[in-house]
Amino acid sequence: MNDFSELENELKKLRPAPPSPELFSRIERALVDVAEENKSTDNIVRPDRFRVNWVSLGLGLAAAAVLLIVARFETNRPAKQIPAVALLTPVPRDKPGAINDRLVPAGFTQVVYNTRDEGLQFANGSVQPMRRVRYQTHETLQWRNAATGASLRVSYPSEQVELIPVSGQ
Amino acid sequence: MDNVATHEDWKVCFSSLSPGLLLFARQWLRSPADAEDVVQEAFIRFWRRNHNIGNRGLLYATVRSIALDFVRRDSRRARREADASSETAGSVEPQFEQLDDSQRPLASAVDRLPLDQREVLVMKIWDELTFAEIATALGISQNTAASRYRYALVALKKSLQPQ
Repeated sequence: MNDFSELENELKKLRPAPPSPELFSRIERALVDVAEENKSTDNIVRPDRFRVNWVSLGLGLAAAAVLLIVARFETNRPAKQIPAVALLTPVPRDKPGAINDRLVPAGFTQVVYNTRDEGLQFANGSVQPMRRVRYQTHETLQWRNAATGASLRVSYPSEQVELIPVSGQ
Repeated sequence: MDNVATHEDWKVCFSSLSPGLLLFARQWLRSPADAEDVVQEAFIRFWRRNHNIGNRGLLYATVRSIALDFVRRDSRRARREADASSETAGSVEPQFEQLDDSQRPLASAVDRLPLDQREVLVMKIWDELTFAEIATALGISQNTAASRYRYALVALKKSLQPQ
């Protein structure tokens, strides 16, 4: 019991004025209107419920494209290691139905990664100048066992020099 | 109070809440008609948003917000309400029903309280809100609400003491 309990009791004896009966009817009308409004909106299939979310769609497509690109890189990883400047031999094919349980040559790759023009040269006793071009390459030989799926790959650097006759005309 | 979900329940709910809500609204709006308009708008807005009526603090905050908007909307009305709510002005119309002679000084003393104390007193005494709910409604701390309530009681006690 605090010092103000008597005062609080006296205050509670004061009863707030009740609302007018009209207020009840006004609220009732308003709530009925709200209910009908909700009911009518429930029956309508709003177009925006089926509206395409373009941002989500765009993000989804972008993610799918990235996945496809990554997947493509993953599957082509061995080929990716070969630069664009390459010479590929045709892959020998076995006869249909015949599977050899041995390593057979599967490919040869020659990558020219540097070309240097060393200028005009005179070869042994020649009077005609020749342009000497030096190619630095990286060659790869591949064998594959069609039966077991095993493969063997040998890579080595190589260098080639080419002499190109120069016409004086 | 339980969450009211059916049409019948809102009447029961509103019957018990409306006197306190009206008294609360009339802290800013001395006209009963204006107070009823504000309470109606607040209650319907509250109902439409499917709030839990048990969250009385939020309901009173809605009433307060709409009442203040109401006052601000019309500058002429605002001046009139400000004049009416000044400490020296008496009630335009009685806020309490069937006052006897012994109760009139107390009602008058309540009316003279500063607004910040009076709104806490109204919510605490006649609406029986907790200090936590009052704090929610007014956007103040519970300690502040409790302090204002105590200041109001002290002021009332002082004003009722024989000179």
